[in-house]
Amino acid sequence: MKQSERIQVSDGSVIDPGFTQQVLQLTGEEVMSCFQCLKCTNGCPLAPEMDVPPNKAIRYVQLGMRDAALAADSIWICATCYTCSVRCPNDIDIAHVMDTLRRLAYQSQGDATPKAHIVHFHELFLDSLKQYGRVNETKLLARYELKEGRFLKDAKLGMKMFFMGKMSIFPQKVENKEQIKLIFDRASKRKG
Amino acid sequence: MGLQIGYFPGCSLHSSAKEYNDSIKASFGDLGVELREVPDWNCCGATAAHSLNEALALALPARNLAIAEREGLPLFAPCSACYHRFLLANRKLRESEELLLEVNELISPLDYKGGTEVKNILELLVEDVGLKKVKERVTHPLKGLRLVSYYGCLLSRVPHGRAADDTENPVYMDMVVEALGAEAVPWPSKMDCCGASLNITEEAIVCRLSSHILDNAQAVQAQAVVTSCTLCQMNLDLMQSGTKPAYNHPANLPVFYISELLAMAMGHSFPAAHWKKHFINPRELLEKMGLIQS
Repeated sequence: MKQSERIQVSDGSVIDPGFTQQVLQLTGEEVMSCFQCLKCTNGCPLAPEMDVPPNKAIRYVQLGMRDAALAADSIWICATCYTCSVRCPNDIDIAHVMDTLRRLAYQSQGDATPKAHIVHFHELFLDSLKQYGRVNETKLLARYELKEGRFLKDAKLGMKMFFMGKMSIFPQKVENKEQIKLIFDRASKRKG
Repeated sequence: MGLQIGYFPGCSLHSSAKEYNDSIKASFGDLGVELREVPDWNCCGATAAHSLNEALALALPARNLAIAEREGLPLFAPCSACYHRFLLANRKLRESEELLLEVNELISPLDYKGGTEVKNILELLVEDVGLKKVKERVTHPLKGLRLVSYYGCLLSRVPHGRAADDTENPVYMDMVVEALGAEAVPWPSKMDCCGASLNITEEAIVCRLSSHILDNAQAVQAQAVVTSCTLCQMNLDLMQSGTKPAYNHPANLPVFYISELLAMAMGHSFPAAHWKKHFINPRELLEKMGLIQS
C-alpha cells in the first residue's frame, strides 16, 4: 500500500487521508455516513473495557487517523457480537470495520500491542487448523498457556474437563490435509 | 420420505460439546431428518481467521460449502458461531462474482457456485421440520420446567439483512421450548453477549458478561437455561463450576442444549455419563421434576 501524504494537526494527531480510502475500499461499508448517534457504543457489551469505543473508531477512520485507530486495544477486545452492526441507523456493519482494523493492525505491527496474548491465541488457533484442518482444543489450550507463561494455571480445570469426557487427547483431523495446506499457502500469498 | 441435510458438526461438537452432537443424533432421525455428514469437513476458521486473514475467513467456509453443493445438500451448522461464519461467507460469495472467482482459486480443484443453503438448528426445527411435527413426536412433555431461552449473538444478528428470526427479540427457541411442553420464561438477557472465545484470553470480561446473564436468569426464577451455541453453553456452565476462584457464580442452573431437551421430550433417555459432561449436572433437577427416573 502506497503511503499517502500525512498531515500533522495542531493537537499532535497525524491525519492520513489514504487510510480512510483504504478502509472504505476494504470494507465496502458506508463509513462516511456515520453521524455519531452513539447507538453502537451504547449497546456495545464490551464498551466498559474499551479504550476506543466503536463510535470513536469509526470517527478515526473518517478522519484518517490511522495510528490512533490501529493502536487501540478495543480492536482486539471486540467480541464481534454484531450488536452495533444490526443497530446502526446508517446500516454500517461496524463489526466488519473493527475486523478490518484488526487485520490492518496485524499486517503492519503483528503482535506489537498490549493485547499481544489475543493475537497469539488467534495465531495458534490457525496453526492447529493448518496442521489438522480442524481445531484441537486440548493441544491449542496447552500451547497457549505455555506461550503465555501460565502453564498449569488452568490444570485443575483441564483435568476436570478431561474426566468429564469434554477433552480429547487424540487430534481430530481432515483426510485431505494437503488441500488445507494448499489453501493456507495460497491465502498467505494474498494480502489480508 | 425424509429431509436430507448436510451435517456440519464443527470442531467443538467432536470435543467440548460432544453432548450437543449426541443429542442431535438421538433426536433428528425421529423427526424425519437424515443427517449426512459433510464429507471430510474442515474448521470454519472461527474468530481467528476473520481476525487475522480475510482470505482464510472466506476460503475455509467455502471449501465446506463447495463439498455440500457437490453432494446436493443444504448445510446445517448447529454451532451458532460456525453458522454465522457460513452465512456471512456465503452471502459475500453470492454477491460478488469476482470474489467467488478469487476464492475458488484458493480452494481449487473444488469449485463453489454459490448454491448451498445454510441453516441453523432453530430454522431447521421451525421452518423445515415444523412445530406441528415436533409436537406430534413429543411423548414425554417437559411439564413444569421453567426455562429461559438464551440465543446469544450469532443466531439472528445478520448485518445488512434480515435473519429468519427477529434481530432484537427472537422467538424461535421459545416456540420450540413451548412445543416440548416446557415454559419459556420471558427475560431480558436472551440476546446478551457471553464474551465467547475471550474466556481464554480475557477471563475477567467473560466473568462480568456471563455472570450478568446468570443473574437475570435467576431473577425470573428460571430452573435452567437452554441454548444452541457451544460457546454460550460453555461460558454459562463454566461460570458456575467452581473450578477456579473466578468461576463461582451461585446460580446452580443447568445449561441445556436445545437438542438435549428435544431428545428427552421425544422419549430418549441419556446415560449418566452424558449428563456428567455438564459442570452443573442437570440430573438433580430432572429427577425433582419427575422427568427422569432416579
